[in-house]
Amino acid sequence: MNLRRIATVASKEWRETVRDRMFFLLAFLLPILWMLVFGYGLVLDVENIPFAVVDRDRSALSRDYLYRFFESRYFSFQGYLQSEDEADAALQTGKIRAAIIVPEKFEERLLAGQPVGIQTLIDGTFPLRTDITKMYVIAINSAFSEERVIDHVSRRSGIARAQAEARVRPIRLEVRYLYNEEVRSTWSMVPAMLMFTLMVSSPLLTALGIVREKETGSIYNIYSSTVTKFEFLAGKLFPYVLISSVNAVVLWVMATLWFGVPFKGNLPFFLAASLVFVLSSTGIGLLVSLMVRTQIAALLITLIVAMVPTILYSGLIVPVSSLSPGSQIQAHLFPGMYYTNIVRGAFLKGVGFEVLWVDVLALAAYAAALRIVGYRFFTKRPRS
Amino acid sequence: MTSAPGPGSQRAAIWWRRLAVMTRKEMLQLFRDVPIVAFLVYSFTLAVFITGNGIRSQLHNASLLVHDADHSVSSRELIHRFQAPFFRLEGEIADPQEGLRWLDRGKAMVFLEIPPRFHEQLMTGEPTAVQLLVDTTNSPQGLSAAGYAAQIVERFGQETVQANVGSSEESSQNLPIIVSDHRVWYNQDQNDTWFESISHLLRQITIFAILLPAAALVREKERGTVEQLLVSPLTPFQIMISKVLAMTVVILCATAVSLFGIMQPVFGVPIKGSIVLFFSLTALFVFTTAGMGLAAATLTRNQAQVGMMTLLVVAPMLLLSGLTTPMEVMPAWVRHLMALSPLRYYVEITHGILLKGAGSSTLWDSVLAMALLGGALFGFGMWRFRRQFE
Repeated sequence: MNLRRIATVASKEWRETVRDRMFFLLAFLLPILWMLVFGYGLVLDVENIPFAVVDRDRSALSRDYLYRFFESRYFSFQGYLQSEDEADAALQTGKIRAAIIVPEKFEERLLAGQPVGIQTLIDGTFPLRTDITKMYVIAINSAFSEERVIDHVSRRSGIARAQAEARVRPIRLEVRYLYNEEVRSTWSMVPAMLMFTLMVSSPLLTALGIVREKETGSIYNIYSSTVTKFEFLAGKLFPYVLISSVNAVVLWVMATLWFGVPFKGNLPFFLAASLVFVLSSTGIGLLVSLMVRTQIAALLITLIVAMVPTILYSGLIVPVSSLSPGSQIQAHLFPGMYYTNIVRGAFLKGVGFEVLWVDVLALAAYAAALRIVGYRFFTKRPRS
Repeated sequence: MTSAPGPGSQRAAIWWRRLAVMTRKEMLQLFRDVPIVAFLVYSFTLAVFITGNGIRSQLHNASLLVHDADHSVSSRELIHRFQAPFFRLEGEIADPQEGLRWLDRGKAMVFLEIPPRFHEQLMTGEPTAVQLLVDTTNSPQGLSAAGYAAQIVERFGQETVQANVGSSEESSQNLPIIVSDHRVWYNQDQNDTWFESISHLLRQITIFAILLPAAALVREKERGTVEQLLVSPLTPFQIMISKVLAMTVVILCATAVSLFGIMQPVFGVPIKGSIVLFFSLTALFVFTTAGMGLAAATLTRNQAQVGMMTLLVVAPMLLLSGLTTPMEVMPAWVRHLMALSPLRYYVEITHGILLKGAGSSTLWDSVLAMALLGGALFGFGMWRFRRQFE
């Protein structure tokens, strides 16, 4: 091993990267643009659900009831409909995602102290939205229902409202949200976007860089030179590790300053862990570059092995614990999951190495394993 | 025109023959790249199966930690109600301080604390409260967990009251209760496998449709073989469209395998609408998306550049077109930006045809938007391509 030769390969690779201005620019621009679009766009708070109402009662009480939906930020009122058929049609076109049907005699029955059924039609095409819509409807219904019952009980039994309330609702649930006290999805998504961006762009940069040389044939210069395998790979990966590390810092600055996500953890620890992550994600690029000969294939395979599993199995949206056992195994095979724990832990929970050491070790093992595989399979003599 | 072909129709025949030859060349070139074919097969079969099976977007198996200071019948019963599939009891601890540490470590997502005298208070009609700590580092999951917990506790409370007071006056028949009655349409059982397998299929189609033609075109530019094509009698239009045609055929076949080989038989995804309509619109989608890739290809000089460029576009398309998060919740400017994503329309169309049984009468606006977008992108690509090489 000769450090000078490594430095030479690295500087050659660096120049080649810098010379392609558009590629170089995109390598830095892409994380920033993604962070902006996803930071604002990838909102998981289900709000403004478009809904319509069929009010068969048209009474003061039914309006009072519906008013709670109109006022809620979770729902966005699209208009009154005349019949259930109209609601069906509106659901089918996707103009509304839910329809609330208030039956006749709504007011009459409630005032008489009788139960009333409220029917809600919900679009089931998007299970997450369906689930949350259902939950919001139930919450509004039971809040309204409780008030009616408390009223009724206090009037009937002639007791104070507070007393009636205790009778109707014997257990209160006090919920405390930890780490993200206002439950903003931006706070959970923006740190995770650090993971997504580094996980997808770094392997691509690396794979394209190496395969480019294979495809244009300039790698033959390397084959015939005195540079050893190790020196070549180390020098070759250096610029991409550097670019990705710079991006990690830029993304951190964007997350904290632009999006105002609190960073409660230890910065040196976080930066060190990010470097380990960058080493493992560039390792994926190295592995892909060994499998293919053309840049098209490198692109496609990187997208499929890096982007799709990162969307699905990294804990970005669906937590790993709620995956099926088979998918959990798959999740553990990708480095994204470990780094998601690290970013969310360092940003929101303020925990450090004492808690996250397992994840850091897993990433380090991953980086090492990928490099060993890369070293074994990279041959200076091309198979003919 | 029919018996003796005139010069016009002969020219047309040659034009079509040339197009067919070019398309065949693209196919040959594609299938020669073994890793690509291997991943094509994997993406449309095994990957769809794994994803359909594995992903649950609703709250599922949220790990629950309990501190029960009461150890009574009621507290046992309440804990017991936090059940699968939503919750999974991870453990019980004696020291409530320990709970925070579990949450810090990510070993539990929800921590339920039941106070002492819980049972006693319930029985005597004294108000009581249980505490729930929720990890909201993943905010929608946290909210969802809190929502389910609220429902569980409320129902438990009401049932206890009814059981205690007896059916004297507070029986539910004599109370002005609102009974929530839901009908979930198009996917009655809220079957995640339908949504996830469809989403996955659409993701794969998008990736292949944008990338393959773009890279194929740039590769010809990079290697200079495009010059050879241009001195041949082929028109620039033929050079471009043949790449799209080849990929469209391949992707349609792969989609058919995925739909009829996996999604329908294994997951029972319904195909309520017209199959012909679905495949025609899939072809339109591939065409539009390919137009996007080709436009990117004409703006770049080598494959590395086109790779970064398509990546820049494809990630927002995949995440923000309504496959991961509902469209309605995004800020207006992102929604407007996503009007440029053909996938956004194709998601509407696919859900419409497969799940809702919608026909062209309800889907026409999505179809029109996609066609306009495709035409514009294709036109832009052609214009750039012509300018560069003629």
